[in-house]
Amino acid sequence: MIDFFNANQVLVQATLSGLVLALSIQVPLRMGVFSFAGAGSYGLGGYAAALLVIHLNLNALEAIGLTIVITAFVGLLLGLVISRLNGLYLAMATVAFDLIISVVAINGGTFTGESTGLYGVIVDFTTTTMFIMTVVAVLLVALSERGRTGRRTQAVRDDQQLAASAGVNVRRYRLMAFVVGGALGGLGGAMNVMVRTTIGPLDIGFGLVVLALTMIIVGGTMSWKGAVLGAIIFTWLPHFLDFIGQWQTLVYGVIVALAAIFLPRGIHGVIVDIIRWVQRRRRGTLDKPAPDPSGDPEPEQLLPPSGTSSISPSAPQQPIRGSVARSLLARGAKS
Amino acid sequence: MTVSQEQAAAQPAPAVTPVLELRDVAVHFGGVKAVDGISLRLEPGLVYGIIGPNGSGKTTLIGAITRLTRLTRGELLFDGNSYLDRRASTLARLGVARTFQTVRLLPDLDVVQNIELGFDGRVQDGEKSNRGSWWRTNLGLGTPPEVAQAIARTGLEGFERFYPSELSYGTQRRVEIARAIAMNPRLLLLDEPTAGMNQAERAEISALIKDLRADGLCQLLVEHDVQMMIDTCDYVFAMNTGRLIAEGEPREVVQNPLVQEAYLGRKWREHAADH
Repeated sequence: MIDFFNANQVLVQATLSGLVLALSIQVPLRMGVFSFAGAGSYGLGGYAAALLVIHLNLNALEAIGLTIVITAFVGLLLGLVISRLNGLYLAMATVAFDLIISVVAINGGTFTGESTGLYGVIVDFTTTTMFIMTVVAVLLVALSERGRTGRRTQAVRDDQQLAASAGVNVRRYRLMAFVVGGALGGLGGAMNVMVRTTIGPLDIGFGLVVLALTMIIVGGTMSWKGAVLGAIIFTWLPHFLDFIGQWQTLVYGVIVALAAIFLPRGIHGVIVDIIRWVQRRRRGTLDKPAPDPSGDPEPEQLLPPSGTSSISPSAPQQPIRGSVARSLLARGAKS
Repeated sequence: MTVSQEQAAAQPAPAVTPVLELRDVAVHFGGVKAVDGISLRLEPGLVYGIIGPNGSGKTTLIGAITRLTRLTRGELLFDGNSYLDRRASTLARLGVARTFQTVRLLPDLDVVQNIELGFDGRVQDGEKSNRGSWWRTNLGLGTPPEVAQAIARTGLEGFERFYPSELSYGTQRRVEIARAIAMNPRLLLLDEPTAGMNQAERAEISALIKDLRADGLCQLLVEHDVQMMIDTCDYVFAMNTGRLIAEGEPREVVQNPLVQEAYLGRKWREHAADH
């Protein structure tokens, strides 16, 4: 095992930094904030960490800590300016932020090393340290998916009016998405530059958005587990597809297209659906069917009775959601 | 002076501070006056109802009360204090809970988690332990007793681990009500809580509302089922074209010619009166 990691150290490092990058975009998406600013933060974090090491001689942990603070603060400022935007408009604004970081890197003179970038970022930073930092980041993200924060995050994503009615300060949560995305992006970029010792304009930019989105779309958008799956698949896939040479890009593209078409919730979404299906089967076969306090066995009876109200000018016409599932459950219980 | 203003003026000044008071509230969408000069007071421990045909402005009024819809003019007071400058989320934390006209549950959360969302915004009643331990709240370990109580009150035992898509429309409605109850509100706004339910389920919801009333909870109910309003409410407001056209005892309001005309049209009301 240790031999395997030693032999593939670069790929392991790429997986870890790719995972943190994917999380920096997935966390805002999970909160309903269509922001790709994580990619810009990744670039900003890479340059910031490199500059802190080169000019201030900070050690790895100091440089990473300060970088996270910087990118989180920039994320907050960005959020204050554009968090009121939504959907594609917000996405375009955050892509513009990513491009601005690239343009500044290219045109920053000797400070950013222009098109050649920065070299000699040499610090004591091992793959093990990188792994531990990534695990801590993933754990924090995983915790945010549970309990109160997880529920409120989903409410902000799915229904902002409902969230507000349940006491959730929607604006604060949306701002938090920018801050967390910025911090994660900064961490990813900083760790990457410390294991690679260099950074240049070609390492950042729009390509990172595509990479992160690919990981998230195929792995799954709704959980950190999806990001982990995506990061592993798309870091290691090119390695395993090496034997097909120039066709590698085509196969890569086909996999992404197929995943987008047939797995809209990603691989993790499929796993969740299977688990829920098994749970439904268990409930239907081992337990009694869903108890219905009204005691009405037929779904049709759930329709509002006509003519029973003295005045009923707008009897609701909504479909009975879940009636098929319930009848299946009842059938399962009988069998 | 509108009918509502006249009636409001005719009412003697009550001694108790109303839980909610609306003064000349209006919501206009361009030229459409969805709500136009509504004044009303809701006192603690009573169940109030709003009836009115489709498009009369009932749901817009609930949106205005909960600060989800911007007011064109007017004043909103909760416990005697204006809350026009407060956000919807702040108002919820003050103790105003609501359900929606169409069921709004989070599809990826099961019944317990959907109700816990309400518990998360729970109004503190002096006992810090009500919020549950940090671990339980933030890591989702265990169900708080208050959530279990809301589940029991709404008859959702056995549905705890079901997802909204697996539930009938009526059961989804009950989950919404349970979520609102879990917020430990001082004012509960129910927008068509029995829509999509059968008679037995309607009777259960009516019993639940009376049960909550016995606990001293002030409730405002928007509903089309007039019989249920008569059975459940202490006081009813009737709306049409954004204005209050009648208010009072439920039976009196239902028999009010203006209300009958709003629902049936003048011709049909006269026809019904003839027979």
